[in-house]
Amino acid sequence: MTTQPEKLNFDVLIIGGGIAGIEAAINIANNGFKVILAEKDLTIGGKMLLLSKVFPTLDCSACITTPKISEADRHPNITIFTNTEITSIEKQDATYFKANLVKHTRFVEEEDCTGCQLCEEACPVVVPDQYQYGMVGRKAAYIPFNIASPRVATIDIDNCILCGACEKACPTHCINFMQADKNYRLIVKSVIVATGFKLFDATKIQRYQYGTAKNIINAMQMERLLAPTRPYNHVIRPGDGRVPDKIAYVLCTGSRDFTVGNPICSQICCMYSLKQAQLLMGALPMADVTIYYISIRSFGKGFEEFYEQAKSMGINFVKGKIGNITEKENGNLILRYEDVASGRLKESEHDLVVLSVGVVPNEDASSLFGDAEWKQDAFHFPLQKDLLFNPSLSNINGIFMAGTTTGPMDIPDAILSAGAASMEAIQYIQKTAL
Amino acid sequence: MKQKIGVYICHCGGNISDYVDVEKVRQAVIDEPGVALVENTMFACADSNQKKMLDDIKQQQLDGVVVASCSPKLHQPTFQSVVERAGLNKYNYIHANIREQVSWPHSDDKAGATAKAIQLVKAAIAKVRLAESIEPMQIETEQAVLVVGAGIAGMKAAIALAKTGTQVYLIEREHFIGGRIAQWDVLCTTDETGKELVTRLYNEVKACKNIVLFTGAEMIENHGSKGNFKISIRIKPRYIQKHCNDGRLQKAIEVCPVEIEDEFNFNITKRKAIYHNFPSEYPHAAVIDMEHCTRCGECLKICDQINLDQEEERLELKVGSILVATGFDPYEPVEGEFGYQAFDNVVTLPQFKRLVANSEHKLYWKGKRVRNIGYIYCVGSRQTNGDNKYCSRYCCTSTIYAAIKAGEKIKDLNHFHFTRGIRTYGKQEVLYHEASLQGQLFFQSPDDDLPKVETKNSKTIIKVNDLLSLNHSIETEVDLVVLVTGMVPRHNNTVSEILKIPKGRDHFFNEIHMKLRPVETVIDGVSIAGCCQGPKNVVESINSALSAAIKCYSLVSQSHLQVEPIVAGVDEQLCEWCGLCADSCPFDAIHMSQTPAKQTALVNEAVCKGCGMCLPVCPTNAIQLNTYSDPEIESMIQTLASDL
Ligand SMILES: Cc1cc2nc3c(=O)[nH]c(=O)nc-3n(C[C@H](O)[C@H](O)[C@H](O)COP(=O)(O)OP(=O)(O)OC[C@H]3O[C@@H](n4cnc5c(N)ncnc54)[C@H](O)[C@@H]3O)c2cc1C
Ligand code: SF4
Ligand code: SF4
Repeated sequence: MTTQPEKLNFDVLIIGGGIAGIEAAINIANNGFKVILAEKDLTIGGKMLLLSKVFPTLDCSACITTPKISEADRHPNITIFTNTEITSIEKQDATYFKANLVKHTRFVEEEDCTGCQLCEEACPVVVPDQYQYGMVGRKAAYIPFNIASPRVATIDIDNCILCGACEKACPTHCINFMQADKNYRLIVKSVIVATGFKLFDATKIQRYQYGTAKNIINAMQMERLLAPTRPYNHVIRPGDGRVPDKIAYVLCTGSRDFTVGNPICSQICCMYSLKQAQLLMGALPMADVTIYYISIRSFGKGFEEFYEQAKSMGINFVKGKIGNITEKENGNLILRYEDVASGRLKESEHDLVVLSVGVVPNEDASSLFGDAEWKQDAFHFPLQKDLLFNPSLSNINGIFMAGTTTGPMDIPDAILSAGAASMEAIQYIQKTAL
Repeated sequence: MKQKIGVYICHCGGNISDYVDVEKVRQAVIDEPGVALVENTMFACADSNQKKMLDDIKQQQLDGVVVASCSPKLHQPTFQSVVERAGLNKYNYIHANIREQVSWPHSDDKAGATAKAIQLVKAAIAKVRLAESIEPMQIETEQAVLVVGAGIAGMKAAIALAKTGTQVYLIEREHFIGGRIAQWDVLCTTDETGKELVTRLYNEVKACKNIVLFTGAEMIENHGSKGNFKISIRIKPRYIQKHCNDGRLQKAIEVCPVEIEDEFNFNITKRKAIYHNFPSEYPHAAVIDMEHCTRCGECLKICDQINLDQEEERLELKVGSILVATGFDPYEPVEGEFGYQAFDNVVTLPQFKRLVANSEHKLYWKGKRVRNIGYIYCVGSRQTNGDNKYCSRYCCTSTIYAAIKAGEKIKDLNHFHFTRGIRTYGKQEVLYHEASLQGQLFFQSPDDDLPKVETKNSKTIIKVNDLLSLNHSIETEVDLVVLVTGMVPRHNNTVSEILKIPKGRDHFFNEIHMKLRPVETVIDGVSIAGCCQGPKNVVESINSALSAAIKCYSLVSQSHLQVEPIVAGVDEQLCEWCGLCADSCPFDAIHMSQTPAKQTALVNEAVCKGCGMCLPVCPTNAIQLNTYSDPEIESMIQTLASDL
């Protein structure tokens, strides 16, 4: 079914509703400009909403993200589209851009869904839950997680068996299998790209056995195990559900590593590993936690103090790069590494291994701009054309970038860069209006 | 008295419910007088629960609301806004903190935690029962921003604000703008020089008609607050009038008999008491350094535009918001620290950068050829004994970059880096790699066993136990020792006292929330940018400057601002003007007011922060604080004490 796209006008289009996109939207909207925030996922909040606590304050991440989310959600100048893809952006002249959007169907009337989750109970299909990074299952009719925004159901049509159980269970009759994607044509004056980062895919380092050995997880999975919206009520190892008591962290997994094509440092993984290690010491007081590192990069405000705190809590630090990991029959793991202190190759056994995976670019935006030239830097992040003077400016005038779009950053740095992008976008709009 | 109070008790996804039996709390408060509804919720702050609260308030016509959850610092505004959207006055909302005050500190005692949570919720119910509706106060905003400090952060912020049409006052304590950046040569990682960057910024500042720049200007006083700051500034004279002939001025500089160390070049060169900063300085105008001028009158004989009796000016600026970007000082090593001032070939990183900037082809220090350079990292940072525990963030990258650039300019140098673990985070990592490929050598000393600088047979030796080679003791002979000095907050920066900006343990200015509000401060209307908040590189400083600028702009782009009406009020009948309240007020909000009948205390509501410091000192109990009246507080205390 094809319908005429609906036409909409806004001052700024923000692509990506992670913390950077949300902050930029609020900044711009607070100054009286109209913003549309387009998010690919079913919920806004990005990765921050899924974290456990944040370094170095140990604030509960969900608890500090939700106020921002609801501020954006109810702001009269902000329109949020989730489950939405941008298909193209064309620069028209110095004053505006045309963009095409598809708001994908959820097969649910958003306004009528109360979030009661009865459809979820009724649905017989179970598939891996992407929001728990595959550690548990979810239904084909589902709400992403408790604090998703919007908190409405979606039918995962690829896995749906069309049994109709959800339709019958829904008390407000909001499930609609006929609902189609909706197309929109936007006119906007400026664009902010805040599409965030991707996690390094650890299966690319075969020596580490991620994906084959059962008790090796990545750091995002550990975040989920420790988060308030966690899959189990305890930290357990996925292989057999046992509570681990000898946990290893492998830092710089996929970063500072030419062999995987990523020579740069991801700048957050030392710190989130220190954080998780501290949280584990709290959750599993009897457990041993060892961090294998090249150099600990605790460079930000309060970070060095946080590192000192980790050392004083009894976390073990071993300077050395992990060569390979092998799985034993009982599911434990042998780490082979170069121990810098003794200059020897050593082995050690752990019952859970966490890979501190790095940040890699999200190259989604590179295909959007048609004829206008979207350039990348040597590391495949979008080019910052005037780095020292206007760091948020992309190669295309009027298109700015916020957050981890341009490279690894922690949350405060993402907030600062979102502030910069929003201030530049406002100046750009006002200049072109003259 | 409220009759229909709604109470919501939050699990906080386990943060609370793991330690507090929330169902028991619910049962315990359901029969409290006035309570109409008690609900437990997984995340009170989640959108879905907010919608539910909104419906409850409307449908059941609730007249007061309590949420028991996390700290009010986090979510009191969230829930106030929910009640407001439901049509209630927001002061009919009371927050009980059962996370920071209960579940987290009492995680070892579930029964005790639950009992304490019950008491706190009951006390909040007691307070909401007596809560009264009050209206927010409106103030007119001055649609101008004061930017303090004209380094890159200050200039960038000023330009951005000016381009939105905002009136900007940019004040700089020094006689020249550009801050530290003007002092650097090439900047990583674009190879642009500090001077080029400053020139670009300065040209934009000049082009913005709505930026008024004052140099030699210092803030001395503030009356007022968010929306209406009244800032007094003092402007030091240059002692040289505008229309001075360049040639004659140059002669005047030549005849000046005073020679002192030039701080622009970090004291490695000399300048006169009448001087220029550097050839492309801004503003391009010489100045007399009165601290060192002997008033000998030599320059006067040559240039009639010099006036040694020029007087300082004072001005008052009215602004709605203030952006502080006062930057940092390089750490100054103490005498003897890694041989500093003990040996004459020990310099700091800033001095080294000036030295390279002023050299061609060959490097000389004090007349001697330099070939081997030893860099000692983390000087003044990551101190195990000293006060500065923090890492200065910029210096690993900056040093490696300086070494690479020095190597490009001067071919015969050897670089030895004595580090504590290199922190070239992010994309900067490739510089570390490049330096290693060039054969620059890196050593790492243990945190508790730092390098030593010694002389042996008039040679300078750096000794280190190197972690990277099995703790072997290594001695390296060098011609020049470069101390990689960190960043410390600017010395005698009176701005923080005048504006009352709090500082952290590291003595840098503190933001209101480290994660989500990194440029705002607890002082409403005052934001902080650049290195005064903590060490940063250029890009990070620019980002923070623009973030601070947009926060200021959000305030001054509106003609009126709402401010919290939680302020102290004086009962004129009871007040006998003893002045104790005025002395106790940290914000200088209370002054004496003369009425025909008597003298009484008067609270300036625009300045009062509602901190309550004046209440206990009043001997006649003449002061009350909105929403914290004696009956409200007494009812809470009674409730808290009743079950004990
Ligand atoms: C394991 C781990 C732990 C961490 N812990 C901490 C911590 O404790 N403290 C801290 O400060 N930082 C931490 N971080 C870093 C933090 O997650 C990031 O700094 C932050 O999430 C960056 O926010 P962002 O908005 O730039 O990106 P993201 O969170 O990635 O958000 C980007 C958003 O854009 C959307 N999007 C992507 N592509 C498109 C598209 N084509 N169209 C529309 N939308 C799109 C995404 O769905 C997402 O919602 C951690 C990171 C990891 C991996
Ligand atoms: S932040 Fe730490 S773990 Fe991450 S890539 Fe850099 S050095 Fe490695
Ligand atoms: S950035 Fe490097 S030199 Fe500077 S304090 Fe940190 S670790 Fe030391």
